[in-house]
Amino acid sequence: MLKYLNTSITFLITLLCSSNLVAQEKFEKESRIKRQDVPSNAVQFIDSLVLKNRVKWFLEEGLERKSIEAKFKNKKKRYSIEFDTLGNVEDVEIEINWKELRTQLKDSIYFRLKKDCLKHKIVKVQIQFSGNQPDLLSKLKTTETIPNLTTKYEVIVKCSSKNSVDLFEYLFSDAGQPLSISKIIFKNSSHLEY
Amino acid sequence: MNTKKSAIIIIIVCLQFLNTVSAQNTYQFGALPSLNLNRKLKKDWSINTKIESRQLLQSGEFNGNADKVYKYVLTDFSLISAKKVGLNSRIAGGYLIRFREGKLVHRFIQQYIIVQRLNAFRLAHRFLGDQTFSTNEKPEFRFRYRITSEIPLNGESVDSGEFYLKINNEYLNSFQDADYDLEIRLVPLLGYDINDNIKIELGLDYRVNSFLNNNTRHSFWTSLNFFVEI
Repeated sequence: MLKYLNTSITFLITLLCSSNLVAQEKFEKESRIKRQDVPSNAVQFIDSLVLKNRVKWFLEEGLERKSIEAKFKNKKKRYSIEFDTLGNVEDVEIEINWKELRTQLKDSIYFRLKKDCLKHKIVKVQIQFSGNQPDLLSKLKTTETIPNLTTKYEVIVKCSSKNSVDLFEYLFSDAGQPLSISKIIFKNSSHLEY
Repeated sequence: MNTKKSAIIIIIVCLQFLNTVSAQNTYQFGALPSLNLNRKLKKDWSINTKIESRQLLQSGEFNGNADKVYKYVLTDFSLISAKKVGLNSRIAGGYLIRFREGKLVHRFIQQYIIVQRLNAFRLAHRFLGDQTFSTNEKPEFRFRYRITSEIPLNGESVDSGEFYLKINNEYLNSFQDADYDLEIRLVPLLGYDINDNIKIELGLDYRVNSFLNNNTRHSFWTSLNFFVEI
């Protein structure tokens, strides 16, 4: 009973807090950069993980800010670690399976998607941790829960509406509350079609 | 399919082509510039118009005589309208008119395209049917499949001011009267994204056909493509 009450409250909060969220369009330009062009703080952070796989470095340029991203695979999972341009770690994203989410969280996300889309399909889920550098480093080295970290979920969803099918990036809080919605704008593909 | 598998397939196809080139066969060499204009319309519709011209610079037999006289061959004008039918797919249909040696050739085109966005590159599959009619030849019906990969040379996607590698591989099944022929095309191109609305590509358009009836013809066209969003 308590479980259902909890879920209902989450749904209600989700509904009340998110009704004004409007999808923004997402523009990002990313380009590959060499390890030697990455701030030393960021390189040291990645080196301290002692990874077996290759790390790819990218410069991401959004409309308002730039960041540096390290991408790699570790234990069959894709990792993406974002740094500011000075090399301070900002967040860690790990690609996970939809099934790995807590039932209550899945219900909240599902509830929101059902409201927004006639039909939807979850394409990708990433768990996102943000906090201070030692805590993020600990999170990357162990599977244990680190209490001071903020956890969010980035969900890429194929969403069918009455007139079109589009891809959206939703960001949910740990409680399943939607924080932002971005419509992913595809790059032109006419040179691949004709 | 990962990059390694794609590379293996490309190498196998190249080896096959090299094998056929070594036989006593004919070839053509020339230029194939094209201009593509695309416009997005309302309600997921779009329109593409293309002008393509073919110029012959040299032809002949491998290990035989070569004709090095420049010859203008043909010009194609096409108009295709397309409708997005899924997140990554589009159906399209249109008409092409060909001006060749003072005669007109008419072609009707239907196509279905899926563009896959993978982690480090894009892959497009094109299924195309066309019907060609002219006064001096019997109608020709073709069923074509083309796979195109776009590999960014900087980062995980092609942004403005960046180069990319584009590789087309197409298989064309042609039925004309009682004859069947298979043409294979391999087109490696180096592309440059000037801004999100203009792209330039330069490369080689290699075509091989008539190899099923031991009369293999190889065509090597220098391809220069402009893609403009208007």
